[in-house]
Parts: sequence; C-alpha cells; structure tokens
Amino acid sequence: MTQNHSKDLLKALCDIVGASYITDDPVTRFTYTQDASLFGGTQSALVVRPGSTEEVSRIAALANRHRVPIVTRGGGATIYGSPRGDAERTVLLDMTRMDQVIEVNTAGMTVTAQAGIIINKLVLACREKGVYMWAPFAPLHMVSLGGWISGAAGAAGLWTDIVSITVVLADGTIVQTGGGPGTNIHQPVFFNRNLGGPDFAGIFIGDGGSFGIKTQATIRTTRQPSLVRAGIFAFDELEPALEMVRLHVERRTVQRYDPVLVFGAGAMKNFVGDTDAVAPFTVQAMMQGHDAAELDAKLAIIHSIAEQCGARRDPMLDAMAEAMGTPTGEDSEMDWMAIFNSFGIAAWLPFTLPRQSFPPVYKKLISWRNERLKEAEKLGLRLRTTWEFFTSSDPSTITGEIDAFFADVENPQATAFARTLMADFQKYAHSLGSIDVYNQGFMADLNASCWSPGFKRLFDAVKTVLDPNGIINPGLWAGSYLREGGE
Amino acid sequence: MAKSTMKELEKVKHFIYSCRKCGVCRYKMTGKLPYVCPVKQASPGFESFSSRGKIILAQALLEGQIEPSAGLASAAYSCTMCGNCMTQCGATDPDTNSPLVDNPAIVEALRADLLREHPEYVPEAYHRALAATRQFGNPWGMPRSARGKWAKGLKIKDAQKEQADVLLFAGCTMSLNPELTPRIKKAVAVLQAAGADLGILGAAEPCCGSVQQRIGARELAAEMIANNVKLLNSLGCKTIVTLCAGCCNMFRKEYAPAEEKLAPKVYHLVEYLARLIKENKLTFTREQNITLAYHDPCHLGRHLEVFDPPRAILKALPGITLVERIATRENTICCGAGGGMRLFDGGIFAQDMGLEAVKAARDVGAQALVSACPFCETNLSAASQIGDSPLPVYDIIDLVSDALGIESK
Repeated sequence: MTQNHSKDLLKALCDIVGASYITDDPVTRFTYTQDASLFGGTQSALVVRPGSTEEVSRIAALANRHRVPIVTRGGGATIYGSPRGDAERTVLLDMTRMDQVIEVNTAGMTVTAQAGIIINKLVLACREKGVYMWAPFAPLHMVSLGGWISGAAGAAGLWTDIVSITVVLADGTIVQTGGGPGTNIHQPVFFNRNLGGPDFAGIFIGDGGSFGIKTQATIRTTRQPSLVRAGIFAFDELEPALEMVRLHVERRTVQRYDPVLVFGAGAMKNFVGDTDAVAPFTVQAMMQGHDAAELDAKLAIIHSIAEQCGARRDPMLDAMAEAMGTPTGEDSEMDWMAIFNSFGIAAWLPFTLPRQSFPPVYKKLISWRNERLKEAEKLGLRLRTTWEFFTSSDPSTITGEIDAFFADVENPQATAFARTLMADFQKYAHSLGSIDVYNQGFMADLNASCWSPGFKRLFDAVKTVLDPNGIINPGLWAGSYLREGGE
Repeated sequence: MAKSTMKELEKVKHFIYSCRKCGVCRYKMTGKLPYVCPVKQASPGFESFSSRGKIILAQALLEGQIEPSAGLASAAYSCTMCGNCMTQCGATDPDTNSPLVDNPAIVEALRADLLREHPEYVPEAYHRALAATRQFGNPWGMPRSARGKWAKGLKIKDAQKEQADVLLFAGCTMSLNPELTPRIKKAVAVLQAAGADLGILGAAEPCCGSVQQRIGARELAAEMIANNVKLLNSLGCKTIVTLCAGCCNMFRKEYAPAEEKLAPKVYHLVEYLARLIKENKLTFTREQNITLAYHDPCHLGRHLEVFDPPRAILKALPGITLVERIATRENTICCGAGGGMRLFDGGIFAQDMGLEAVKAARDVGAQALVSACPFCETNLSAASQIGDSPLPVYDIIDLVSDALGIESK
C-alpha cells in the first residue's frame, strides 16, 4: 500500500465508519499483534471498528476493489493465534463494536445478535427473558459470537443451535443462510436453517472466517432451567469411566445440556487438593432441569449407570456434588478463566477423537505429554499443575484436553517451551487421528495439512467463488504457521 | 528508550508477565457488571484503551519491541486506574492469594517511566499539575493562602499550635474549591457535635501526593511523603480523618513503604462517622425523604475495601432509602475522575463516564447520588447537570449534617 493509497483508503474508510473508529496509530495497531494465544495476533496498517452489517459490507467492497487484505478479529481469545496480517496493507476489523442483541424472540425460541457480541452478554440477555442459550462455560467473557462460529469446529458445540448466519462476502454482498428470509423472501423469521435449500450455514461454521465476514447470527434457545444437580464418581481405570460416558451419551442426542465430564487426577487436585478423594478418573455429571421430579429422575439414571460401571463414591465428592446443586444462575458459576490464569503459562493440549477408538490413543497422548514434561523438568521449568479433562458432545465423539501449566511466567524459555509443546502435541495427536476443534492460526494450518486432496479441492473451490481475490483472512489454512515451525 | 531505563516497569514485571492476555478485563459482563472498563466504554474502544492493551504495550516496551511515543503516553494516561480490571480478572497468586495482575500498578509504572525518560510525550495538562504542585503545593494551581480560607471564623484548634486527638485532613480538592468547602465546615461541625477533639492545619495543610503519584511523578511524591510524615508525626495527633478517598488511600497504602512511618491512624470520614454512630455519639433528628444511590469511590471501595461504613451511615439517617445501582461495591464503575482522567483530552471521556454513572443511578430510581470523595462528586455533579433534569449529587457529610439539624442551627 503506497502512502497515497493508504491515505485514500483511510479517507474512504473514515467516510464509512466515522473518524473515531479507524486508526493507523502504531501503538494502537501494536496492541492487536497479540491475543490470548502464545502464537501471536495480527499485523495491520489500519484498525477499524465497524458498527453495522452495512458498514462491513461497504468496507469489504472497498477493500475488494483495492485488493486490500482484511483480517477479522473478535474477542482476541484464540489459543492458536490469528492470521498474521501485513503491517503495510492489512485492514484489521475489530468486530467487538458490533455487540448488540437484536432480538430475544421468546415466541420463536431464538436470539439474534450482532457477531461481535461477547458470549456472556448474549447469555445474560437470554436469561433476562427466561430463556437459555447453551454456551461452553470457560471462555464466556472473552469470546465473541462470530469468533466462536468461525474459529471452532461446530461453533464449539453451538452447531445444532445455530439457526442462521448473516455474512458479508468479499465483494460486499450481504447473504443470509437458510430457513427464513434467506431462502424464502416472504418469510421474515429465521426458524430452521435446513429449509429451502442446502444448509449453507454449515460452510461458514468453523471456516476460520475465511469465506466471509460474519456480522449477525440467530441462535436457538430453550426454556431457562431453574435447577442443577450433580453426581460425582471415582474410577481407577479409564475404560469404566469411558463406559459411563458411553451409556450416558447413547441415551440422548444433545448431551451438552446434561454433560458428563471426566477429569484426570491432575485436574481434580485443583478442586480438592492432594487428598484421598483424587482418583485417576473422576466423572462429574451435571444435570439441569425445570423441576425436582425431572432432576430426581435424571440423577437416578446417572447413579444407576455409575453403579453399573463400578464407580466408587467418596464423601468429599458427594459433598462437592451436593454443593453444585444450586439454582442455575451466574452466582453459581465458577470463574474458570481466573482459575486457569492463576496457574501460569498454559500449554493447552486439546484433542478430539472418535469415541470408539479413544482409550489407546488417550493413553498414548498422556504418555507423550508426560515424557515432554520430564524434559521441561530437566530444563528447570517449574510445572504448576496439569489439567486432564474429556467429555462427549455426541455419541460418536470425545473431546478433551490434557493441559500443562508452567509457573515461571517471566522466563521466556517457559513461554517458548509451552508454545512448542502445544505445536508438537497437535502434530502428534493429528498423526494419531485427532482432528481438533480449533480452526485458528496454527491449528487451521495443521488441519489443512491433513486434508485429503478432494477436501482441499472443495475448500479451494468455495474460497475462490466467495472470495476470488483472496482478501479475507489471507494466509489462514495456508501453512504459514507450519512453515515457521509452529512458533 | 533503552530497556534498562524502564526502572518502574521492571519493578512490576511479574504483574505484566502474569497477565495471560485473555481479554476478560476488556469484555467481562455479568448481571451485576454491565462492563469492566469505563474508559473502553467512553472511548472508541480500541484495544489500547483496555487494560489488556496497556499490558501488551508495557511488555513490549520492556522487551524493546516498541519505542516511547505520544501514542504510548496517550494509552498510558487514558486510564482511571480504578482497578476494576484487576477485580474482574480475579486471578490470584496460588501461593499468596493476592491479585496476580495489578493493572493500576502497571499503568502507574508505565506513566512513571514515560514521565522520567520522555516527558515530552506526556500530555501538557499533567505537567501543569506537577508544576503547580512545585509552585503552590497543590496540583490545582491555587495559592497556598487560599487553602485555609474555609476555616476563617471557625472555632477549631490549629493543630500546629495546639495538640488535638483528631486531625481533620481536608485535602486539596475539597479545600481549594469554594463549591466544596462548605462540606469541610459540615464535617467540622459534625465531628465537634460528636465530641471529637479536633484540629486542622488550615493553610499549612500539605498535599498528600496522590495526584502526583497517579500521574507518575514518583520522586516528587516520595519527597512529599517524606515531608508530610515529618509534619504529621510532629503534631502528636492519634488519628487523621480524611474527607477525600484519594488522600485516605494515599496515606494508608503509599505511605506504608516510606522510611519513616506515619504514626497517626488514618481513617476516611465515613469510617469514623460509622464508628461514632455505632457508639451512639450522634443523634439524628431530621428526616430527609429521599431515595439515594451511593457511589463507591474507587480509592475507598475497591482499593481499601471500605464498603459497609458509608452504607451503615446512610441506613442510620432517618427517611433515607438507599438503593444500589446494578454495579455496586467492588463492581462499581468509576465516576470518570480517577487516574487524572479529567485532565486527559479535555476531560471528554471523564464527562461521558460521569454521565453513565448518573444514568445508572437514575435507572434504579435514585433521586440523588451520594459519595464520599470530592473527585467523584465534582465529576458526577458536572455530568448530572447535562440534560434537562439534573440529579443532585451529595457528599455523605451533607446528609449527616442535615440529619443532625446542623445547618439550620
């Protein structure tokens, strides 16, 4: 971008968003070169904070005309980094100004919001109206709706709840996926994304933001559950713990509303200390419901399954389960990020595997991690804790993580080790068939490196049609992180 | 700036590197917290206006990735230092249980390094406040003689001439603003009514150094602390009662590491009054029928954890109904005057933050706002005048003295 070009573009962008919401200030731009990951954020020439779908559309059309790359950013909460960008050319769209709830539709059981909204704002807006939007709990306060839909496979579990997505394509065209005004111009309400044509929402879910810029989404809600109960059970072996998960998930299709979570010993020590209550595997079943009878029934089933799998009961775990049985609401929610951040430098080591072949792979992953942690010890790096956890979001899939946290936050060697550990772990896990959920930065590159030729051809074809000049999030899925050695 | 010159940032390095850059400080929202950062809310909202952005910049400066600049100074000074980001982060040191990331300490250190090494980048308004301190002994550029005017004609001990148990420390902001000085007189009257053996320093009262410390003028603040400790210790009083939340926080926290320790115990007026009420030393006779929201000053609330005493006072006053804004106590959103924000960019962000605070009070049906800090009250009053129906802003002493019938005497 020449200086004149930059000035012209700056002026045109100012006309679109207003001078306050665009900057070329180097200090401000620098703050976007980092995110929550150890892998890095985005270099940019300009940062813009658009306020509406129409503004995004005009920005995209302008950028497309000038062949200027655009990188979108939500909460900056990625764990695998962002598109690298270019300090001379890239226009970075900070989408978080678009944070409005457009409608909580209690009659149609949907909520519609701008894509830059941080998830908990959306959850709260639903709760205020007595409806419930499911969301993974840990990053509620940092992830945007658009970031979640783009950056996580299946929108991190929201997949089946997504009713419609509004997307701005590279040439500025505004599209709405199906099941409402997108596929029937006579129908004003989004209600079922599968209707009226192929499910185009799916191509924008987990695309890393490559196929278009998400500006709005409609999500399905349910009635807000008013009660929670829990059961917590100890297992000495992986297989019976996994069996308990299987018996639970095979009973229902949408397991995430009543999750059964398996914690490893490292994770449990953070809950109960180094006590006798820490078993190699602890299964925690969280039941939500609308009345005591419903919950009694759910809990009875869980206890029966646990017994069938040979679970042990422990007074401390029973007390924990009892304490979790509070009414739902934010007062009962744990501040997960505060807990994780307290542990120090996180080497997040997530995986997603088919349930049917899970145990041997899991054991390999654990032993791989433990070997690498011995290396860390030899380097004098202090391990604060580990966090092993997995769950099943459907009857076929296990997703989880075996994270490690290092205490020496000021030691650049610890940061470098954690980053390399993350990259190496994913390469190893992928070689064993793991296909992780994060479609961001390094992980998008790694996922793409494992694609079959046919899948790659399909991806390239879609990208070429929707973004022929390759201006949206260029470099993503293209191997730049891998070429840098993952670091 | 060479890396080695970042002396103050080096001291808070652990806080900087403990931040995981997750962004909770930028985005957290709960049913009791509409947003975390008032500056981010009032500004165009770029990352540099958020705590995460400032920590990224502090780390980059330490590592020599960026150079000092006017833009960096702008990021450093666009902060109320209210500490809500630290509270909402919630991450604690597993060994000590203390906050893992002290965001205001990082911002203050960044300011200190910029001011020392590159004063040319620091906005002029802050230099004016520091020059005024050197010339007049207060940051507001008022002559020293003006400081004692409020006490003219009052029957009260001069603490330098007669020993008093309690020193009433009015503070620069209260004693140099004619609109606020009646509140000092009310405080005197109330404390005397409760039988306190009270003294003041009048024109000899020094500036506590809080404003200078927040601007980053650490040498100046240290000099002021050393001189003030000598003066205050020489008086022989047992207790210092401050009217300003900033003075109270300064005395308790920033004076603690000084070589010579401050001998008198320091309380904010609300703490002292709450104790007097508990000891039945004040009898309230006048009913005031009004619904109020209390604004927790950041220095007093979040920083010193004084949340209950002001509420206990308000609940003891006849006819007063206390309502809480959605964000209250440790979640309180700064009024906008903290961290020198009224001096930043012509005070436009401070005004917007004040408007939000006033709106939040109106939203819960408050007919007035009450606080316990002249900075908060000045900014909230200014904001409350914007629009068609101004919302009265009181200091808690206004209500206490009214309830005692003091004004009518």
